[in-house]
Amino acid sequence: MFDAKQFINDAVQELKNTAKGKAMIAFSGGVDSTVCAALVNKALGKDLIAVHVDTGYMRKNESDRVVATMKQMGLHYRFIDARSEFYEALKGIIDPEEKRKRIGKTFIAQFEHVAQEEDVAYLVQGTIAPDWIESGGELRDTIKSHHNVGGLPETMNLKLIEPLRDLYKDEVRKIARELKVPAAEHQPFPGPGLAIRILGEATPERAQIIREACAIVEQEIENAVEKGTMEKPWQYFAVLIPVKTVGVHGDKRAYGYTIAIRSVESIDAMTCSYSDIPHQVLDKISTRLTNTMGEKINRIVYDVTNKPPGTVEWE
Amino acid sequence: MVKIYVVNNGGQWTHREWRTLRYLQVETKIVPNTVALDTLVEDAIDGLVLSGGAPRIGLEGTLGNCAQLLDKLSVPILGICAGHQFMARHFGGTAEPSKIPEFGKVELTLIDPDDPLFEGVPQQSTVWESHNDEVTRIPSDFKNLGKSENCEIQAMTHTSKPLYGLQFHPEVEHTQYGALIFKNFVQICTR
Repeated sequence: MFDAKQFINDAVQELKNTAKGKAMIAFSGGVDSTVCAALVNKALGKDLIAVHVDTGYMRKNESDRVVATMKQMGLHYRFIDARSEFYEALKGIIDPEEKRKRIGKTFIAQFEHVAQEEDVAYLVQGTIAPDWIESGGELRDTIKSHHNVGGLPETMNLKLIEPLRDLYKDEVRKIARELKVPAAEHQPFPGPGLAIRILGEATPERAQIIREACAIVEQEIENAVEKGTMEKPWQYFAVLIPVKTVGVHGDKRAYGYTIAIRSVESIDAMTCSYSDIPHQVLDKISTRLTNTMGEKINRIVYDVTNKPPGTVEWE
Repeated sequence: MVKIYVVNNGGQWTHREWRTLRYLQVETKIVPNTVALDTLVEDAIDGLVLSGGAPRIGLEGTLGNCAQLLDKLSVPILGICAGHQFMARHFGGTAEPSKIPEFGKVELTLIDPDDPLFEGVPQQSTVWESHNDEVTRIPSDFKNLGKSENCEIQAMTHTSKPLYGLQFHPEVEHTQYGALIFKNFVQICTR
């Protein structure tokens, strides 16, 4: 079994031995980066700076919450509003791999900036096993590129530290609970964020649509979980399929986009089964989505694909 | 401590094989599939896993140094997916593209539930797959241990050597008795 206490001791010791200088941590606010920050904080204390980037593809109020978390954790931090940079980088881009690569590059540009200003020697990332496994390399096929894998330019002159590299999410959660990190039970959220929950071009307008839709899916599922109607899924969100189909709204013809509800069960994200969501919950989500966003959305579908053959996220 | 290495054929779940062995308190390491026989002999391993692999890798070519390892090592060897397909080819069987590939959930039916690798595993169980190719003709020195609706040879073993091949993936969480199968393999390695 996985011994979280032992891992923490070993990791903190390793960090103390390796990191002789100022470190910067890429802080998305998810469980991986938060655990990393807690570990590095334990080892280096004042020599750590956390950097949170608002990519424009964050969930509703997410960046506000993350900044609050960094404050609560007592981290020395920087918050970067890079929305326009990310939107510009993805303008006209429809290929999912191209999206991921450009997002990776844009992230690095932000970190480079801070690294220079703060005179940082190390970049800490909460990279975990599935990230580098799915990014390919050696004999492995690239299933999808990850923004935090294989992107650092040599000119950046930063040494990379990834204490969680060999771990899977369930093991990271055990560490998070041991360290009493509040993000321990948060559902996974991909680095490229909502950009990969929009099929095709991820425009700011579409980002706003899917931001709203994801918030509705999350709220309704979390309500149902609280009521005891269902168990909390591993990961649950909405995907915008910008394909129009015909509908009827108040005696008027409608022609709008489709949203897919996605929810899966897993332990480590490497294999997943689609969730058995009670009908009344799907019903509530569907109706709320089309009532709230009827101008743009008139069809809701539920993704019944396991991993394999699909992946959790659609891009 | 039992020592079982994982030969990396570029699979998505190679690292999961490593994790499963670690959880069983086995001393383990992932080695490239070009690993030298001498290295494994010097390290005095008790067993070896030939991992699943990159696209088509079980179907064509040499799979690194696996041929030599299969011929010269006397320890138990477990081939998974691409490792299993290569093992079949190496010993005179055939591996080809599947008529119906299997991704995700599949029902495994054991043909020989008395084999030590399947001790404690019921005759029907859920396994998880991810294969475009499969063993279509089992080598004459091997016997078939299990099948599914769309794949005749899900598991095989040599009739006199401690060699095993599995088409499905015991190392993933969704394979119902995966951890038990690995535990049984570790037992076989400690004999």
